Amino acid sequence: MNKLLALMGIGFALVASGCSGGREAAQGNSSESGQQNSPASKEFKVALITPGRVSDAGWNAMAYEGLKAIESELGAKVANAEATGSKIEDAMRTYGQDGYTLVFGHGYEYNEPGVKYAGQFPNTVYISSSGGKTSKNAGTFRFYLEQGFYLAGMMAGKMSKTGKVAMIGINVPSIMSTFKGFEAGAKAARPDIDVKTVIITDPKDVVAVKQATLQAIDAGADFIIHQANEGAQAVFGACKEKGVHAIGSNADQNDDSSGAVVASAVIIAKPAFVEVAREVKEGKYQGGVRLVGMDKGAIDFVVSPKFKDQIPADLISAIEEAKKKIVSGELVVPKDEF
Amino acid sequence: MSWFIQVLFFSTPTGLAALGETVNQKAGQLNIGLEGMMLTAAYFGALGAEITGNPALGLLLGVLSVVPLWIIQNLLTIHARQDQVVVGTGINLAAIGITSTLFQQRYGDAGRLITIPTFARFGGLDALVFFMVVMAPVIWFALHRTAWGLAIRAAGEYPDSVESAGFSVAKLRWQASGIGASLAALAGAHLALSIGGTFVQEMTAGRGFVALAMVSFGRWKPFGVLGACLLVGFAEFLRFYFQVRQPIVPYQFFLALPYVLALVVLIIVGKGTSAPMDLGRPLRSNK
Repeated sequence: MNKLLALMGIGFALVASGCSGGREAAQGNSSESGQQNSPASKEFKVALITPGRVSDAGWNAMAYEGLKAIESELGAKVANAEATGSKIEDAMRTYGQDGYTLVFGHGYEYNEPGVKYAGQFPNTVYISSSGGKTSKNAGTFRFYLEQGFYLAGMMAGKMSKTGKVAMIGINVPSIMSTFKGFEAGAKAARPDIDVKTVIITDPKDVVAVKQATLQAIDAGADFIIHQANEGAQAVFGACKEKGVHAIGSNADQNDDSSGAVVASAVIIAKPAFVEVAREVKEGKYQGGVRLVGMDKGAIDFVVSPKFKDQIPADLISAIEEAKKKIVSGELVVPKDEF
Repeated sequence: MSWFIQVLFFSTPTGLAALGETVNQKAGQLNIGLEGMMLTAAYFGALGAEITGNPALGLLLGVLSVVPLWIIQNLLTIHARQDQVVVGTGINLAAIGITSTLFQQRYGDAGRLITIPTFARFGGLDALVFFMVVMAPVIWFALHRTAWGLAIRAAGEYPDSVESAGFSVAKLRWQASGIGASLAALAGAHLALSIGGTFVQEMTAGRGFVALAMVSFGRWKPFGVLGACLLVGFAEFLRFYFQVRQPIVPYQFFLALPYVLALVVLIIVGKGTSAPMDLGRPLRSNK
């Protein structure tokens, strides 16, 4: 037994030293190239850090598709990792040490560490999706999804028969801000509307997501918008079961197989990701906060063709009108600063 | 009554898994890999239902997919006498890796929202819910009123006595863990094929671990375990009920409620120990 343990110990030690040895070597190389300060000769490497799996068919998937577009359109070498909490700084430091030109952090929580490591790695640009801190090689890039949610709110407010609508999502600042947009839109369409907020803690937990949706419907809501990423199917399934309307978010979910989705508030992320990466590649990036909204074609609200005949014509024209006003800047949709 | 039906329906995955684990623990084994077994059955259940269009065939594939995990686990814990917690953790990690890899290979790196056919329901409940309710008395009877049950319980309390009485503890533990694994598979299948109508990566979201906790919360008694699952399910029901009706109560209160309930119940009923004496110990280890 003792012999076996000893053997296992040696085995583990070998594996562990092998791994850490490799890592140190890689880090050593990159810090050397960092000292040389020659960004021009380096290859264009782009990394993406997401708060969840990139296979969530929602928020993270959209950034991943942006990254893939950067790979194909700009010829970049790309990498991605999932990091939350204390792992965020590890991931940012590692990409900085490995000589990445551009590191995206897909969420407000990547803003502060991004600025911190931008100071340590001057040849790497750190960009986070939303957040307010910047430096010369760190900035933010915020999708104004509140605009899409505002139009969704208008539709729900106008079409709700019960006068009650609900929003289901995780309690993070960026999502709460989109809910604010939805509420403003719903109130603009119908001032006495009852807008319910249902907080879920884990979008993967379909048992909870489905219960949340069913409860909202039981309490009278007949329009449900979600920010549940991979858990969205549980929302749509519950809506389908109870015969109420669902509104999709982030991606265009109108052709969802449940058939419950009447419209979607959409982020068209690819062009925005490619644009900012191109600036970085050409050395033109200056940092700063960038708001990407409807005027840049990054946010849209699309109505499902299947439901077109159920939607009143004056509502369609009111939404189109509001879209024009948002693009021209006449209508400013409320959003939180964080 | 509709609220009770809802609680019963949504408590079914933890209920099934916890009832199976009760049998398993009574025989002296701890299945930390419950979560992984549920997740595996959920993925293969969803896959089978999507390909064939028939949730019953999905269920069959889901149950079959857990068989290799069950065999590997028992070879390691019963025969190689390895630590049950370590092996179970291995099963969990393997299940996450395998299901996620297969999911991404099939539906793309960016994932997809999938809809699969679900079980027919009668009065809001499907067959697996009724099966869970029936299983509580069946397991109670089998454990406490049959010779087999006595042997199982003895295998968990004092395996040496079982061996000297001419039974094979290894065989009894294979049987008990087989029941545990099958019910875990049904639990996972219920997640995907009845509640979700979809598969989401890591969709078990800790419910396998909740089921483990419910076994000790229910004091290793089938009715107690089922009751514990329903109580925790009721707390989850209240969490959303109050959010949509009385948002004055902060939702975090209801997140804490199941734990508070568990503590209170354990303070009242938890005197003495009711855990099987040999729980988690490898067979014929030097005590």
